[in-house]
Amino acid sequence: MTRGTDLKRVRRLRGTRPGFERAVWQQMAEFGWLGILVPEQYGGLGLGCAEMAVVAGGTAGALTPEPLSAAVVLAGGAIARGDNADLKHELLEGLVAGKLIPALAWQERAGILDPGAVSTRAEPFEAAFKLNGGKNFIAGAAGAGGFVVSAQTPEGLALFWVAADTAGATLDLLPLADGRFMGRLQLSDAVVAQDRMLASPAAAHAALQAALDITLVIAGAELLGVMGRALDMSIDYMKTRVQFGRPIGSFQALAHRAVDLHIQRELSSAVLDDTIALFDSDADAARRSAMASRVKARCSEAGLRITREAIQIHGAIGFTDEYDVALYLKRAMTLSAWLGNAALHRRRYAQLVPSDEI
Amino acid sequence: MKSEPIIALPDFNAMNDDEFRAEVRAFLEKHYPQRLRNILRRARWSDVKDWYLTLSGHGWLAPNWPREHGGMGLDAGKMMILLEEQERHGVARVPDHGIVQVGPIIMKYGTDEQKKYYLPKILAGQHIWAQGYSEPNAGSDLASLRTEAVPDGADFIVNGQKIWTTLAHDATHIYLLVRTDKQAKKQAGISFLLVDAKAPGITIRPIRNLAGHEEFCEVFFENVRVPQANLVGGLNQGWTVAKALLSFERVNIGSPRRPQYALQRLEQLARAKGLFDDPGFVDKFTVLRLDIADLASLYTRYAEVVKRGEELGQEVSMLKIWAMEAWQRLTELLLETAQEYGCVPGGLAIDGVEVDVLSPFYYARAGTIYGGSSEIQRNILAKYVLKLPS
Repeated sequence: MTRGTDLKRVRRLRGTRPGFERAVWQQMAEFGWLGILVPEQYGGLGLGCAEMAVVAGGTAGALTPEPLSAAVVLAGGAIARGDNADLKHELLEGLVAGKLIPALAWQERAGILDPGAVSTRAEPFEAAFKLNGGKNFIAGAAGAGGFVVSAQTPEGLALFWVAADTAGATLDLLPLADGRFMGRLQLSDAVVAQDRMLASPAAAHAALQAALDITLVIAGAELLGVMGRALDMSIDYMKTRVQFGRPIGSFQALAHRAVDLHIQRELSSAVLDDTIALFDSDADAARRSAMASRVKARCSEAGLRITREAIQIHGAIGFTDEYDVALYLKRAMTLSAWLGNAALHRRRYAQLVPSDEI
Repeated sequence: MKSEPIIALPDFNAMNDDEFRAEVRAFLEKHYPQRLRNILRRARWSDVKDWYLTLSGHGWLAPNWPREHGGMGLDAGKMMILLEEQERHGVARVPDHGIVQVGPIIMKYGTDEQKKYYLPKILAGQHIWAQGYSEPNAGSDLASLRTEAVPDGADFIVNGQKIWTTLAHDATHIYLLVRTDKQAKKQAGISFLLVDAKAPGITIRPIRNLAGHEEFCEVFFENVRVPQANLVGGLNQGWTVAKALLSFERVNIGSPRRPQYALQRLEQLARAKGLFDDPGFVDKFTVLRLDIADLASLYTRYAEVVKRGEELGQEVSMLKIWAMEAWQRLTELLLETAQEYGCVPGGLAIDGVEVDVLSPFYYARAGTIYGGSSEIQRNILAKYVLKLPS
């Protein structure tokens, strides 16, 4: 029960808006974490997936509520791949400095991961665009200074920067299991200037796809952090909790269960390592997408299973809100559901890699 | 003991990995019999004698042995490549206990006389070894074995029974773990003994396995006289001797190759049956496909450790659990996919695909039993890796 004090802040912030602390975000900026993936020319560190995964895995393992992967990897990833140099400069510098928290508003329907499946429209309107449509499941929307919005223009899919205070842009927040929020953005004749087009139809689709894929990998790293802590807690508990005069970890049924969970953790970690190596190489987009799905599938499945079984291993205390293991389950639930759960990513993998390529 | 290498071999360890891989591939393409590719049952001596002698004749029989004893002297990295290529080519296991177990054990613990006598005969295919460890009442709990060796002059008199002795009926020799001290605690009273299978008092009876093949045997010992000179590693040191298993073997048992091959067969059958239009099947198939892809990632991680020449810890047990259990799940889906044919033994033509659905299913049962059952592997992981109390 004493471990609860480490997570006091996490508990305090649950369900409050925006659900995290700007002071902590600012600290992350000072550590350089917000610029890990941002090229040096924009003030970032220009590092790779490996470094980002270490930080994201660590913060997720501590159940940090700040929207690191949503803002830095997903939204930041889309921004960095846009083809509007001036706007990129402006947004990325703000992101790296911790002054601007961007969120990516791309998905519209549940279970659809195709970046091109977009009904939101952007119609040319005088020297601007008029946006209409609805975006869903926006991670890190609470507290976001603006949104990278995908929309269909007459020339094809494009990305727009929509500041949070844009007239006609209405955000509402859906509370999540782990006390954070998902955003829904309604766009009704929201007008954005032409120079707010972040990615033209020439770049938008690939930018979204790449941002999505690297975020799947980082979400895998976060899930690994969460499952690792939950499993370590459970194993520690099995060593100290005594029933029938013996530590419960000496009972074979429980010991074997813990071993199976450990195998899931190691499989997750092995796939993650392989994928990170691939992402930090010059592998093509198709292979990246396939490996990203492998990671998200394995880590989502393993993360949920380990945190679920961690509840069982702890017994009644695991079913309480005051004991920390429940927090891990709930973070695993939000991370697993985000950007496609295990079942969805297995299907995506099957579509991306034909079965005769075994 | 040192002798000049019989065959002049190139310095394999000086080659880069790609060169060596190409060398191995070319060797297998040229010499390995097509009819023996990807067989599931254990090859009998009559099947693989020619292949064994071909390997021997080229100096390729004992990749793990040092050059001075007539081996290839491969380092761990090259050893892994050789194993990978053998697996890729679907090369059957030869009766290799002499090469993998007895040879290295004699090199490490044996006397000069033992080295001089036994090692060349293993290389020449004159001595084929079988492993006599398990007993009817000593399976997972191997250290409770009761076959005893009692000193009598210059000999031991051996009495008892071994079981699940793979290919004993093809063996000329058997290496045994025997009890030499009944007072000592379990592991402490065991010795390692080299025994001629033709010695009077030994009876070998093959046992038909679940798949219908006679691959393992019972071996009975009735007042069998074994020279004390055949003791390896000293009296009551048998447990230590037997435990000295090499890293590459422990990783090899968890190789993804066999499940990958089974997956390919399942894929061919499913495609012929049009099952990839069935989302229910595709979901099940993809779960297994990723189980095996992820196994390959985990395997590579351990293989890299071995290639660096480092020792593997107990955590490698997880590889065997996952490989064998994934293989089992795969063979279960193969059976299900075969529908009414899922109970018909032997090779079949189902929708134009030649497939044997029962053999993989049967052999996968054994995978979670031999070499330390899945339950024993879990015990090992719980104790040594998770450090759970016992």
